[in-house]
Amino acid sequence: MADMNIFTFCPGVSALHRLDVRYKTALVCLVSLALLKAGFTGCFVCFLVLSWLVYTTRISFFLIAAQLKWFILLLGIMFITRSLTVPGTPLFSFFGLVFSQEGLRQGALVALRFFLVMITGLLFSATTRPADLKSAAQWYLHPIPFVPEKRVAIMISLFLRFLPLILTQAHQVSDAVNARCGNLNKNPVRRIRYLVLPLLKKIFLAGDSLCLAMDARCYNEDRTDPVFETGRNEMRFLAAGLCLCLAMVYPFHICVT
Amino acid sequence: MEHPILEIDHLTHCFPSGGGILDISFQVFPKEFILVAGPNGCGKTTLIRHLNGLLLPSSGQILLHGKPVTSDITNARKTVGMVFQDADTQIVGDTVYDEVAFGPENLKMPRSLIQKKVTQTLEQLDLFHLKDRNPATLSGGEKRRLTIAGILVMDPEIIVLDEPFANMDYPSSLSLITTIRALHAGGRTIIMATHDLEEVITCATRMLILDRQGCLARDGRPGDLLLDLAAHGIKQPCFSRMGYGAPPWQT
Repeated sequence: MADMNIFTFCPGVSALHRLDVRYKTALVCLVSLALLKAGFTGCFVCFLVLSWLVYTTRISFFLIAAQLKWFILLLGIMFITRSLTVPGTPLFSFFGLVFSQEGLRQGALVALRFFLVMITGLLFSATTRPADLKSAAQWYLHPIPFVPEKRVAIMISLFLRFLPLILTQAHQVSDAVNARCGNLNKNPVRRIRYLVLPLLKKIFLAGDSLCLAMDARCYNEDRTDPVFETGRNEMRFLAAGLCLCLAMVYPFHICVT
Repeated sequence: MEHPILEIDHLTHCFPSGGGILDISFQVFPKEFILVAGPNGCGKTTLIRHLNGLLLPSSGQILLHGKPVTSDITNARKTVGMVFQDADTQIVGDTVYDEVAFGPENLKMPRSLIQKKVTQTLEQLDLFHLKDRNPATLSGGEKRRLTIAGILVMDPEIIVLDEPFANMDYPSSLSLITTIRALHAGGRTIIMATHDLEEVITCATRMLILDRQGCLARDGRPGDLLLDLAAHGIKQPCFSRMGYGAPPWQT
């Protein structure tokens, strides 16, 4: 449970760690949207900026590669599929499968965009405390009428807190079933039944205990509001982010025209 | 004479499936260390969950400073802090700091006061160096201390612990006993539900024994009740069985 995964916050003191979570969320949305319109040049610019940010946050490049290995495999499949399905000038054929020049280009671009979006998200989750994420959700939902933003925020927080616990419990149930040769049972319905029913029971019991523990500490929706620390750094990051988005989108239009 | 903090008056709680507690009455005075002992399923947890209104009685009542617990449930939960058996399912914070801040945030304390109280509490329980850690990565003993910190920060008069030594190794148990003794020495009233008295019987000033029917069988000084334990399905401490005195468990 203590291992790093793509949802884990890595404590640090970098500028990105200290950035107000509201600005950080807005910047992630902006960059992700700009990436959808970015061409190769824009993606390259974004890649350079993201690499620099990863370096400043002192998150290991190898750790990121290890975390994203299955995602990179998925991108490879996407790239090959695009290369084969997009019509255009044939470049070469392999066992009767024709790879087109346009297909390779589009496949590479789509894979690159998804990769950069993933790195952006990973940087966000690695430098943002879940509690801050909850505060940002509460702040963004506040102006929307009929949405209980504090309740939604605490639900987000509990989901992030208990997801690893539920996964651990699923492993425990699976181990307990396998310890009694449950893995020899080839009927998928029975296997699911033996896994899901005890797991659901554990989850509901844990949920019940959690409710009692929260009640015992006077939980209510009228809680102390989160405090955001905003300084000059936030404006600088926002300006730099906007410039980056323009730099990513602008070359794309040149290529189109 | 000192006024009691809590008065439990003919408390009965019946579950639809059977079991529960039956006609229990006692009072809790300041600075007491009360052990609630009894075999599994005798109603220890049911009893202590009534003390801050988490469960409501089928009949009888609980008075906190002379007023029914239900008249101000927030005050009852602030005054009677409760530490549950399973630490993992009661920790809601993403970091040690956030976990301790959860209670004061619910009480809508100002942010500056929360920061001061959380820092003080973390230092008191020797957890300050772990304040940015994910609670899931703590040891069993640290998690238990964290759950105590989570209620201590709300400044309760009474701390109720439900089977605090369950699933804990020897060093963690030692550390926890030291913490509990320090809290008691600092003037807190402690109520602890347990079926294993070996670790704590020398710390307690009073012991309540529940029988299998959920009735209060005995109420007295721990030293006076040692020979009654086995008859009520509770393991007699080793030193008592071997005919020795009652040395502090830590030594």
